[in-house]
Formats: sequence, structure tokens, C-alpha cells
Amino acid sequence: MKFGGTSVATLPRWQNILELVASRRAEGARVLVVVSALTGVTDALKQLCAQGEPGKRSEAAKAIAQRHYDLLDHMQLAMPDTLGERLGDLAKLAGEGPAMLGELAWQAQVQAHGELMSSALGAAFLSHSGLPTQWLDARDCLAAIALPNQNERTRLLSSMVEAKADPALNARLAALGEVFITQGFIARESKGRTVLLGRGGSDTSAAYFGALLKAQRVEIWTDVAGMFTANPRQVPGARLLQRLDYEEAQEIASTGAKVLHPRCLSPLREPRVPLLIKDTNRPELEGTVIGPEVRAHAPSVKAISARKGITLVSMESVGMWQQVGFLADVFAHFKQHGLSVDLIGSAETNVTVSLDPTENLLDSDAIAALASDLAKVCRVKVIAPCAAITLVGRGMRSLLHTLSGVLAEFGQLRVHMISQSSNNLNLTFVVDEEVVDTLLPHLHDLLIAAGALRTDDSALFGPSWQTLYGSGGAPDTVAAWWREAERQQLLELAAETTPRYVYHLPTVRKQARALKSLAAVDRLHYAVKANTHPAILRALAAEGFAFECVSPGELEAVGAIVPESVPLLFTPNFAPCADYVLALGTRATVTLDALYPLEHWGELFRGREIVLRVDLGRGLGHHEKVRTGGSGSKFGLPLDQLAIFLQLAETHGVTVRGLHAHLGSGVLDAGHWGEVYVQLASLAERIGSVAFLNIGGGLGVPSHPGEAPLDIAELDRVLREVKAAYPQYQLWMEPGRYLVADAGVLLARVTQQKGKGAFRYLGIDTGMNSLIRPALYDAWHEIVNLSRLDEPATALYQVVGPICESGDVLGTDRRLPEAQEGDVMLIAQAGAYGKVMSSHYNLRAEADEIVIE
Amino acid sequence: MALEKVLVSNMIQPRLTQLFRFVRCSYADGVAELAYAFDDGEELVERVRFPNAPVVPATHAAAFEAALKLLHLIAGVSYYKAGVPPKIEVASGPLDDATAELLDQLYLHGLAEFAYRNGLDLRGRIVFPRGAAAQPLAPAAGLPKRTLVPIGGGKDSLVAVEAIKSIGGEATAVWVGSSALIAACAERTGLPTLNIQRELAPGLFELNRLGAWNGHIPVTAVNSAILAVAAILYGYDSIAFANERSASAATLEYDGQQVNHQWSKGYAFEQLLGNWLHTHVASDLDYCSLLRPYSELAITRAFAKLTPYFDVFSSCNRNFKLLGPKPADRWCGQCPKCHFVFLALAPFLPKPRLLSIFGRNLLDDENQASGFDALLEYQDHKPFECVGEGAEARAAMYALSQRPEWQEDALVARFHSEILPQLDASQLALEPWLEPSAEHHVPARLQPALATIG
Repeated sequence: MKFGGTSVATLPRWQNILELVASRRAEGARVLVVVSALTGVTDALKQLCAQGEPGKRSEAAKAIAQRHYDLLDHMQLAMPDTLGERLGDLAKLAGEGPAMLGELAWQAQVQAHGELMSSALGAAFLSHSGLPTQWLDARDCLAAIALPNQNERTRLLSSMVEAKADPALNARLAALGEVFITQGFIARESKGRTVLLGRGGSDTSAAYFGALLKAQRVEIWTDVAGMFTANPRQVPGARLLQRLDYEEAQEIASTGAKVLHPRCLSPLREPRVPLLIKDTNRPELEGTVIGPEVRAHAPSVKAISARKGITLVSMESVGMWQQVGFLADVFAHFKQHGLSVDLIGSAETNVTVSLDPTENLLDSDAIAALASDLAKVCRVKVIAPCAAITLVGRGMRSLLHTLSGVLAEFGQLRVHMISQSSNNLNLTFVVDEEVVDTLLPHLHDLLIAAGALRTDDSALFGPSWQTLYGSGGAPDTVAAWWREAERQQLLELAAETTPRYVYHLPTVRKQARALKSLAAVDRLHYAVKANTHPAILRALAAEGFAFECVSPGELEAVGAIVPESVPLLFTPNFAPCADYVLALGTRATVTLDALYPLEHWGELFRGREIVLRVDLGRGLGHHEKVRTGGSGSKFGLPLDQLAIFLQLAETHGVTVRGLHAHLGSGVLDAGHWGEVYVQLASLAERIGSVAFLNIGGGLGVPSHPGEAPLDIAELDRVLREVKAAYPQYQLWMEPGRYLVADAGVLLARVTQQKGKGAFRYLGIDTGMNSLIRPALYDAWHEIVNLSRLDEPATALYQVVGPICESGDVLGTDRRLPEAQEGDVMLIAQAGAYGKVMSSHYNLRAEADEIVIE
Repeated sequence: MALEKVLVSNMIQPRLTQLFRFVRCSYADGVAELAYAFDDGEELVERVRFPNAPVVPATHAAAFEAALKLLHLIAGVSYYKAGVPPKIEVASGPLDDATAELLDQLYLHGLAEFAYRNGLDLRGRIVFPRGAAAQPLAPAAGLPKRTLVPIGGGKDSLVAVEAIKSIGGEATAVWVGSSALIAACAERTGLPTLNIQRELAPGLFELNRLGAWNGHIPVTAVNSAILAVAAILYGYDSIAFANERSASAATLEYDGQQVNHQWSKGYAFEQLLGNWLHTHVASDLDYCSLLRPYSELAITRAFAKLTPYFDVFSSCNRNFKLLGPKPADRWCGQCPKCHFVFLALAPFLPKPRLLSIFGRNLLDDENQASGFDALLEYQDHKPFECVGEGAEARAAMYALSQRPEWQEDALVARFHSEILPQLDASQLALEPWLEPSAEHHVPARLQPALATIG
């Protein structure tokens, strides 16, 4: 059991260790505890080493000793002899300085004291607390080996141990007791000097001991429950990886995960000792088990990671083709300038390599010198800053077919290099660094949606980081309205006829009130394109919403329902001139998003106040077809045409009263609207006449179980912050899907079933004619068998409709109870873009609409 | 949801106004109130807040009064420009000739770009009332030997700060307005800080909505006047800006008039204001720019050594009010400032380090071609931003085109193949730009700091 620096720094944490060790003893195991130095002590010892004056060194040693005295005080323990001796040694070493031992050997000796002291202290505490614990000097067990490439520095400060099973050590310990404590990070070399194991050294020590003793397992106790499918700081929805093999774990550790140093897995591989990562504060969580065993399961991507700060060097030459030794010459230059190559891609006339960020790369002229040398033999291009996005999983090549949707995402980006590792464990894309922060969470979602990351396999994938550690508490605590409260009524409605849409107005009101809690927002418009049912329009008008329409038809529908006093917004796109003529005859505020209307119909707008929709140059959203920003999208005025637009407005006496941008739909990151808001505000400051900013909608509604909902409190905070900086502008929003998606369901009945190869198809009486989102956007809708909600989900179905299209699939690979003809199936989250996008295709009867007040 | 407020109370037509009035100015408890009006319209009251302000000592009352009056006259430019009426009136009476001359010059040249953009001609229109008798020369105020250094968040002021620190000078980092970026930079300097708040009259936003003229104002002049008040209030003998040599160069000539986007950062204004403060406020209050003898390239070379600031500074003029951790939160990558600072730092920093500052490579992005062309004064005139001279940008680009690690990047390669053949290569050397010129207004006490930059 290994415990890191923060785990050994305070009394409560030691009490925690005591409990954990005692619980392992209770299971009958003999325990060896490996500890790091108290947090901060190793750094303090390094600073002591860098100090030239003996007086200051002694002072530093005293300060370090005081840390240990303080902790002993808290433990109400007397100074144990073992620790006293160590403190004495440290004081002596600090006083003497490096002269006697030699600089590096002295440094190693000094720095080793962090662990020697913490372990001595721990032995005293555990023994005193009723758990007799033997102190073991790690240097008597771990013998460092000399390697051909080592210099004196690496030999002493970054050493390696060959950890072969050592039955003699086992026998020696068996004679001494049941519980031991020893030091991480240190070993001894053949001349008897103390050496250090370098970065990640304590984890590596634990692994060496595991191998030497052929332990039942090695447990690394740390501040997080294990390895995740992505860095939780970048992807809060990342899932805990409960089971990995050594190679996968090593690959994940090498490509970004910080929880474990990649070095510490190799000693365990041959003796097949499993390693378990556990959270010290949450021992009840399962953690990650890394072992030899590859259980039979579907191949899956295990993790996605990103490393930033990558520099690429691309070398182009016709001279290299079939020329012996060209690459050797090229790589010799990298070695000469101290640059270590990571990824390599080669073609007949080009070799491109990647360099990881190092101080040498950033602050010396190494790159300039390298490029000068290389320029003599080839054309060189230095490409940076890049990021390497890596998918890790065993058998990556056999997973490629599942990745098509994921790969499509790279279509919009500059991909500088693709590398598929020769061990078939990873697939790496090198892209521009700036896209990574938004891309990574998105790719993680896509991997799940594409079935490449099989989070449905609960043996491999645990809960999300958000669920385990997120501030908002576990999402999905409130059961959907249809699951219990209204289930019976829905079954009765379905018995009358199907297919039919059912809308639950209390849910619409609940969502509306959530948005009304956004204090910074001055006016909320319901984007009626999501659902124009009169009952929904009436409910939202009653909640005080204004309305956003995109066509004369919508204006007419809204005009017929809502009171005269309710403000309207008309935001069409590529609309004919007549639409503007019509809209200008209503009370609606008109939005323009191109030069054309002012260029060609300018006088139509004379004396009017309009809103300008701009394109801030990039898009966001859950699918390419719902992204509405960036040159690839038809919406908005590009910023480089803004000056011309303003001139045209001036010419025609048109006042730009509002600025609008809307980047996409299904966005779950609160920071997004803050960015749009700030960018609009800084544009507005240059226009003068602007009084309000419309930051659009696109508020995401999570569709997958366990996905975190949009954090409204965080959105409120972000918007308030921007508002405080730009108080002169009113803030408008125009949400659509957020208000109505969860309020609607589509009811259908089972028609037929079919088995085909490994697939089982479950037919229902409506499909893409009623709900086109799965076919159009790959949208994921939860599907349940409402007739058998309480039965075990044992079948794996492809849920399909009756339309003559291969794409008429509502859900793939759904775990559902065995179904019968006539069962009522419910498709959730169908309140937005359901009925309004339905069609008569195949001349199938339309779904009707029912409202639950 | 907050109540909607529609701010249309007063139906004044700003562009049709006839008279701009300096109504009054006052100071109490750390707050200066500056009042203006158009015609007989409502007062526009601006407030400048000086934090933890000490009581003005009686011995400094006259100096303080003079500085405050100048602030009133200079800050009026933000309001005057909304209507640009033909007549200017100062309620407290006509100005002496030197004061009127300073203001005539500042309003004419400082608003030249504004006038150009709006198709206005201000020549002969700006006439401050003059004729008051000249005041006796101001005596020395016995100000403590310490310096106010305005921080802008960009590289220049940080170079000035480090120059003063390097000679052991006592200094305070000061800025006007709320800016997370500047606050972060100021904190990184390790100096004491002073954050003065300027609240524009709310009526100005309303005038804007009613169709006021809008555009660039000489904001450095306003900040300079605020700092002159602060120097007397808190006790500083010098205000050291970080305006470089090229700030004096005109951006373009239009209808026989020189238009300089950064006129109030230029040498002419530095001398005018510096001399005026000596004669009207206190003979021992110095106003100068510490970077005046240096080119942008000389300054970027000095800044390239100041690694601790790389992850906090930004010269980008967009997105200043809120900060995130990413380079893209500080550098928009689209504006002339981003283009210029990227280009000017490139010859002096390892390429990966430079790219890590900006988070992307602007010189390998073909969409930025027209932006860099403008800096090079190729197929376009110089952009209206505080950026270096065209020849300076060409020298930097030429240097990169000779470097293997840069020469394959899209815009460097394009420069090499398309633009370079049209240039006289003998005019493209970097070295001459690194030489300081003799021109500066730096007082003797701070001259050793000046020497550390070059």
C-alpha cells in the first residue's frame, strides 16, 4: 500500500492510513506500507541542497525538522529514536555540505531523508496505535542497477532497480512481523551509496516491492479514484476506468494521465501482480484495477487524452527517396541539439516528427539551430503550437470502423499528422493547440455516441467524474415526469391511438422558471421553431416570455395566440424581400444577417431600428448540422463585412440597435455564452447605437443517462460577470429546445421483430416521418418500453420505424426488456424539433398531439 | 428577469448641437466631478475616483487646482466629440494662451482620426476661448522622488517598469479603469499598485443611441491628466509613460492634414503637456515617456528577456475586460496589435516560446495575409492602431524570411516570393532599428533607466 505526500502530512490522514492498513490485516493480508515524504518536504530538501551557505542550510534543516516535531505533537507521541537519529543525520549533512560525499551523492543522501523521516514517524504512530509495525530500510531491499547509458547524475538521482522475485526477502520479513513501513523514492547502488528513483519514484518503489515480494497486489492510494476515460478537468463527463491491462494503462499514463507514472507498471507485468488505484478519501469507490487479465469483452476505446505544447518539424526533400542513411543523418541533428523525438510520420519525400515541450525547446535557440542544420539537406517547416489527441485502446486497428463519426469531426480541422502506434494501442492526431479545449469533451461524447467507447459495459466503465466529484451532486436525481407520475395516463393515451406526441406543460413551466432565474438576462424569447403548439405558446406567454420567429408563418401562428403587448423578434435567414415587408408591418424587431437586404432593399428599412446578426467565426454544438457559426455555416454577417454593413445602415438611415450571435445548439458549457456575450459587447462598444445584445440560445439538454445538465447557477454567474463589465447593454436570449425538449414524448407501439445476424430489430409504428432527429443529427433519444418498464432489460435491440429508408432507425443497441407486439414504446425528449420537423413521407399518418396541463 | 428600461428621456439631436460647455469641476473625498453640457441640455457628469486619497495639503492646493482644471478641459474631449458643435465655452472664463494652445492642438490632432473616419474637417472649428492673463510660473511643490508608471497590460509599460526597477527607482504601477488583464500584469510587477476609476457620464451612452458622432479619442491625454492630478494628490515627482518613437509618426495624410491614431502618445504632445505641467502645476513634476528614443523593435527585444510576464501580458485591444486562462482569451489573433506584436517579437524569441504565448502561429495562417500586408504597408495604408512603422515591420519580416525555422510559414514564404522582390533589400536590416535616437524628455533622475533598455 503506497501513500503519497498529502496522505502522510497530517494526523487525520495518518488515522485514515491506520484504518486502511488494519482493514487489510483483517482480511488476513500482510501489509507493506510505502510512503512519500511529508508534502513539501522534498522541495524543501532540494532548496536546502541549492543553498551555498552552511548557516542557511542548517536553518533549512531546522525548519524541516520542525514540520516533523509539529506532527509528532499532534499525534501526542514522544520523539522515537529512529526519527531522532534521522533528524541528527540531516542536521549533520546540512552542516557539512557536499564536500565529503561529492555533490550528487550528497544531494541524494539529503533528499532521501524526506522518506526516511516520514516512514520513521509512521512506524511510531502505527505501532503506538496498536498495530505493531516494523520499520524497513528500503535501501536494504532495492538494489539499483548500472545501465550503459547512465551518467553520474542519472545513476544517483534517477536510478533504476531490477526487481526480480526475492524469496529470501519474503522469508526475512515473515520472521519479523505482519506490518511493515518503508520509504518510496530511494534505493542503494552497488558501491553502497543512497540513490533516488526520480519522478514518480514512490509509485515505482511500491511496484518494485510488489515484484520482489510477488505481492497479492499493489495498492496506490491517492486523491482520485483511478484512471478516467479523459482528463476530468477537460471532460467532466469522463468515466472511471475500472479495469485495464498493463499495456493499456501504461499507454494512458504515457499520453497524459497524471495519476500514475508510466514507469511503475513495467516491474509488475512479468510477475503478473495487479495494481489497484484507490482514493484515500473515498475508499468505498471501486478504483481502477490494472492487471494482466484481458477478460473477453467487446473491443473498446478506453481513453482519450490531449497533450499540448507539441512542436512538429516537417522535413521535405526529394533527396531522401531511397537514399541510405538519410534518416540517420537527420536524426543525428536532433540528438546533437538535445531534442527528443516522439511521433514520426514518413512519406517518400517527407518526414515529420513531433517534439514534446521542454525547457530546452522553449527557451534556447535549439529549434533555430536545428532548422539551420536541417535546411542544408532538406526544406524544413516548424509547425506549432500543436496538440496530440490520442485515443487509447487495445486493438485500435480493429476499432477503426466505429470511428467514422468521430473522424468526421477532424474534417473541419487542420490535422498535421496521424500516427497509429506500432503496438496497436493508440491512434494519435496532431492538430492545432487552440482547438483542443472545446474539441476534447466533444470527441468524448462522440466516442460514446458512436459506440466506440462502450460505456454501457459496466464491468469496464464506472461512474463519471462529475457524478463522483462534481459540485452539482448526482444528476438525474429527479425522475422524468413520464416515468412514474404520468405513466398510467400515457399508457391510456397510447391505447387510444399511436403514434402520438404528448406534451407536459408543468415541465415547460419548470424549465421556463429555471431560465427566469438568470438575473442578468433582461429579455427571454422562446424560439418557437422548436415547437409551435398553441398550448406551449400560451404557457410561455403566461410565464412572461417574448417570442422569436423565423418566418411569416411563425409570426402568424404566434400573433394568433399571444397578447399584443408581447414583444416579437423576427430572425429569418435568406428570406425573400416580401418576408421583411410583412414583418416590418408587425411589431416584430427585425434581424438582418447579410449585406444583401441593405444593398438591394435598403430603403425598405429607412428610419428603422434593426438587429444585426454577426458570425463570430466559429461554431459549437452537438452536430455539424446544428452548428451555426463559422464560414462553413450560412448564418450571420462575417466580421470583416461589419464596416460595410454599418456604412450601408448609415446611408439608409437605419439604426443598429441590437447585436446578435448564435453559435450552435446543444451546448452544455456555461462559459460559451460568456464568450459570445463579451465578444458582442466589445463589438457593440465600437458601434455606439447598440442598446442590447442577443446571445442566442442553444442551451443544451443532456440526452444520455448520467450526462451532467447545464449548470444554470454557473451560467448566471458567468453572465453577471460580463454584465458587470458592460452594464450599458441589455441582455437578450432566445432559448428553444431547453424549454420544451424534456416536456414532450413520442408514443408508438411495437409492430414486428426480426433477427438478422447478431442484430435484433424491434419495429414500431412510426419512425423518421415523426421524429427525424436521430436520422438527421445522429441525435440520441432515450427509448423505453412503457408497458414493461419494471422488467429486466435483457435484449439488445435496434429500434426502427416502418419507413422505407435504411436510415429509419430511432435507436441503436438499446438494452430493453423482451418486447411483444402492441407494447407501448416511449421516445423521450421529443418535445423539441419533433412534430415541427415531421413529414408525410411514405404517406404514413401523422402523429397527433396531446397536452397534459 | 430585470425590468426592461428604455433609456430615451431627452430628445436632443447630438449632431445638431451648437455649443459645448465646460460647466464646472470639483473635488471632494477622493472623487473629482467633471461636468459638461451641450447647448442648454442636461449636464453630463463624469466622475474620477481616486482610492484611499489623502487630504490635499494646503501647500499643494494651487497645484492641485490647476491639475484638476486641466483634467476637466482634457476629459471633455470624450463628450465634445459626440456633437462637435461650432462653439466651445468655458464657464470659469477664458484660458491663458498656453492653456488654450495646448487644448486647441490636442482636440484638433487627437480627434484627427475621428474626423477622417466621419468625413469631418475640424480645422478652424476648434477654438478654445483665450485671452486670460498668463499666470506666474508655478513653484516647486517638493514632491517625493518616486514615479507613477501607467500599466496598460501590454509589453511597453512592462519594459518601462523593469527599467525603473533596475536602477532601484521607487515606483507605483497605476492604471485607470477596471481591467483584469492590467490588474494581473500590475500584480506581476511586484510594485505597489494604484487603480483609479473613471466613470463616464451615463448620458454619453444615451447620446450615442441618439446618433452621436463616434470614434477614436486621445485617451492617453485623458489618462495623463488623471495621473497629473494623482501625482499631486499622492505625492510623485514623475509620471513615466511608455510611448515609443513610432507613436510620433502619422498614420496617413488626408486632405493636407496629418492623421496620427496615437497623437497623444507622440513626442509633440509629450513636450506640450510636460512643459505646461512645469509652468502651471509644479516645476518639479515631470511628465515623460521612458521609451521615447526606442523603436518598437528595440522594445520588443527588451521585452523578450522578461519571461515572467509572458503568460499575463497582452497588447490585443479586444476582449480586455474579462480574462480566461488560454492564450486565445488574451490574444484575438485578428487585430493589428496582435499581428504587430507577434511579428516584432518573433526575431527575438525561440519560435516555440513565441507560439506558446499566442497559442497559434499567425504567420502560418493565410487568412491573416491582409492584416500583415497592412503592417508592411503593402497594398494598403497603415492600420489605425498603435503599431510600429511599416519599415520596422518589413525589417522584422525580412529577418524571419532569412531564418530556416520561419521561412516555410505561409506568410513568410509569401513575403519572400511576392513582396521582397519589390523592396530595396539594403533598407531591410534589423540592426539600425535597435539603435536609440537622441530625442526624449526624460528628467535627469530617470535617465539611467533609459539607458538600461537599449
